[in-house]
Amino acid sequence: MDRRSLLGLLGATAAIAAAPGDLADYGRAIHLGLGGSPGRRVLDPHQDATVVALTDVILPATDTPGAKAARVNEFIDLLLAEWSEAEERDRFLAGLAAIDTRARDMFGKDFVDGTPGDQSRLLTVLDHEAAQWNAKPRATRGPEPFYRRIKWLTLFGYYTSQVGAEQEAHFAIIPGRFVPCAPADSTAGSE
Amino acid sequence: MPKTYDAIVVGSGMTGGWAAKELTEAGLNTLVLEAGRMVTTADYVEHVPTWQVRFRGLDDRKTRSATQPIQRECYACDEWSSKFFVNDHDNPYTTPPDKPFLFLRGRQVGGRSIMWGRQTYRWSDLDFEANLRDGISIDWPIRYADIAPWYDHVERFVGISGEKLGLPQLPDGPFLPPMELNCGETLVRDAVAKHWPGERVVTIGRCAILTENHNGRAACHYCGPCERGCVTRSYFSSINATLPVAQATGKMTLRPHSVVHSLMYDRGRRRVTGVRVIDGQTKHAIEFRARVVFLCASTLESARILLNSKTPEFPNGLANSSGELGRNLMDHVMGGGASGKINAPADKKPVGRRPNGIYLPRFRNLQGGPKSSFLRGYAYQGGAGREGWGRGTEMPGFGADWKHALRDPGPWHFTFYGFGECLPDRNNFVEIDPTTVDAWGVPVLKIHCVYGPNETALMQDASIAAAEMLAAAGAWDISPFVHNNPPGKAIHEMGTARMGRDPKTSVLNAHNQAHDIPNLFVTDGACMTSSANQNPSITYMALTARACAYAVNLMRRKEL
Repeated sequence: MDRRSLLGLLGATAAIAAAPGDLADYGRAIHLGLGGSPGRRVLDPHQDATVVALTDVILPATDTPGAKAARVNEFIDLLLAEWSEAEERDRFLAGLAAIDTRARDMFGKDFVDGTPGDQSRLLTVLDHEAAQWNAKPRATRGPEPFYRRIKWLTLFGYYTSQVGAEQEAHFAIIPGRFVPCAPADSTAGSE
Repeated sequence: MPKTYDAIVVGSGMTGGWAAKELTEAGLNTLVLEAGRMVTTADYVEHVPTWQVRFRGLDDRKTRSATQPIQRECYACDEWSSKFFVNDHDNPYTTPPDKPFLFLRGRQVGGRSIMWGRQTYRWSDLDFEANLRDGISIDWPIRYADIAPWYDHVERFVGISGEKLGLPQLPDGPFLPPMELNCGETLVRDAVAKHWPGERVVTIGRCAILTENHNGRAACHYCGPCERGCVTRSYFSSINATLPVAQATGKMTLRPHSVVHSLMYDRGRRRVTGVRVIDGQTKHAIEFRARVVFLCASTLESARILLNSKTPEFPNGLANSSGELGRNLMDHVMGGGASGKINAPADKKPVGRRPNGIYLPRFRNLQGGPKSSFLRGYAYQGGAGREGWGRGTEMPGFGADWKHALRDPGPWHFTFYGFGECLPDRNNFVEIDPTTVDAWGVPVLKIHCVYGPNETALMQDASIAAAEMLAAAGAWDISPFVHNNPPGKAIHEMGTARMGRDPKTSVLNAHNQAHDIPNLFVTDGACMTSSANQNPSITYMALTARACAYAVNLMRRKEL
C-alpha cells in the first residue's frame, strides 16, 4: 500500500482494520487498557477530549480556525500510536492525567469540565512554570514539563495541517518567485 | 555471445549522465548500466505538502532507523526523499570500530544527482598547484587552463546562476542571473566588505538552479525542497538534463537493475572487454562487452568495482600496478562556523523559498597573502532568515493574542557554516572486506578514513573567523561551533583512483584514462588528486566531458 492510500485511509475510521501494519499497534493499545475512542488508537474518549480542549485553548479559533478544527488531537493520537516509543507514550499519558490532577486542585473538576476561565487560569500557571523550567541550566532542570510538550505538539500539528498552513500561515506550495525583502506583514507566497 | 557496444558507462548519476550524453552525441552506441531502479519525474514529491505525508515531516522514524540507520544521517533522507537513498541492510560496508565513516548513497537512475546540494564552484590553480607547492602527495597532471574550456562547456549546458566576482581563487563562468540576497544577508555582506576589504566577499551561492528558462528547462519557482525532485527540471540532475539528451540521440541503452560486479580483462590485448553484471531483480549473472568502459559509479563504488576485478596480472585490483587504488580517500571537513542574531530590518522578510544560500569564498593561504598555521583553506555557506511559528514553544503565552503574535516573523538570524579542504593521505583507504557481501553477493568495502590535525585546525579557525565576522556585523547572541562530523557526512568523498603523471604513483593519467589499461576511464570523484574546498560536482562533470572527448578522438583515430 502506498503512502497516499494510507493517508486517505487515515482520515476514515476504517484505518485500523485496513492497514495490517497498524493492527499490532492497535492490539497493544487494547492491551494497555486504553481502548481508544472512535477513530483514536491510543487516546480513550476522556483523554481525547482533554487533548482537544488543551490544544484548542493553546491555539483557539480566531479569524482563522483553531487546533480543534485542524484535528490536532488526531495527529497527536497517530504519533502516540505509531511514532512514539512506549516510554514516550507512557510519559505523555501520565502528563495528560496530571493535568486533571492540577485542574481538580485548582477548580475542583477535570480539565474538560472547567469553564474557559478555569482552563485559561490553569494554563497561565503551567505556561509560567514552563518558562521557569526553560530559564534553568540544562544540567539541573530535570525532565521537560508536559505542558511544554503539548504546546509544541499543538504548534506542529496545527501549522503542518492544511488548515493551519494555508489559512493561518498563508503557505503556498508554489510561491513562483523569491522576494528577498518583502514587507514583513505580506502574506502572498509566504509560509 | 554477449552484445557488444561501443561504450559502457557504469552509473547514471552526475558523471554517468554526462558520459552518456557526450558519448552518444559523438555517435557511440552506449550502454548505461545503473544498479538501482528506474526513476522518472513521476517519482518527484517536491510539491507534496506536510499534511499529505503520514508524519508531516517528522518521518517514520521507526522504519527509518530499522532500514536506513546510516542514510538517515543525511538531512535529505527524510519522509519525502528517503526513497532516493539505499537500504542499509542490502548495501552494507564496514569500518574499523574507531573510524566511523558515513557512506551515503543513492542507487537509482539519476543517482545522487537527484538529491545533491547543487552548489557549483570552479577550482583554480591555487587548488591544482597545491600539492606541488606544499610538497605533499603528488602533483595534479592538469592545470586550470586544461579544464577551463570544459567548465565552460558543462556550465553552459547545466545553467549556473551566480554572481561574477573576478576572484583568482574562484574563477567566474558563463553565469545566469544570480539569485538575490535577502536583507539580512546584505547587512552581513556590507559589514564584511567594510572590515575585510579585498579579502572576504559574501556572495549568493553559485548553483545549478535556473533563474531563467534555459535549454528547454524552466526557471525555478521557489518551492524550496529540490532534493525531492523538480517537475519543471529547474535544477540540474542527470534525469532532468543529460539523460534526456542522450536518449534523444537514439544511441543510448539505459539498463536499470544492473549491479556491476567487476570488469572483464583481456591480458593479451591489455584491454578491458566489458563488464560482469548481476541483474538486480533476478540476480542472474550477465556479461556486456564494449570497446571502452567509463566508470562513473561514484568514488567508492568505482573503487570497489576495480578492487573486485582482480586478475593474475592485477592481484590487488584492476589497473592497480601503482598500489594507489583505494588510497587517498578524502571528504570535505565541515561544521566549523558560528550563528547569531542580526539587526536586519524588522519590517522586512523574504518571501518564497530560495533553495540556495550565501557563499564566502576561501580567504586563507591565498597566493601572495599571509600564511596560516594550517595548510589550504575553507569556504562558508549559510545565510540569513527569520524565525517562524516554530519559536512558539519558547514564546510565553497561549491563546488568541499569542497566535496572532506568531503571525509576525521572529528575529533575524545569520549562520556561517564552513567547508574545508581535506588533505590526501595514503592511510585513508578502502579495501574489499573478504567477509561481507551485499544483497547481490558482491563483496563490499571496508573503509578506513579519519580526519587529521590540519582538517581539525581548519574548522577551529572557521569557527573563530565566523564569530569575528558576525561581531563585525553587529550581531549578538553569537554562538561559535565546531561540529565533529565523521568523514563521509559532506558526501564529497573523492580520491581512491587518483590522476597523476607517473604510472608508478597514480592510477589515472591527465585524461582520466587508466595508466595500465588504455580503454578504461574513471571520471567520477575517484579521480581526484586533492580535494580543494569547493563543492566538487561541477569539476567531476567537466573532467568527464573532457575525458569523453579524448576517448572519442582516440577511437576515431583507431588508437583505442
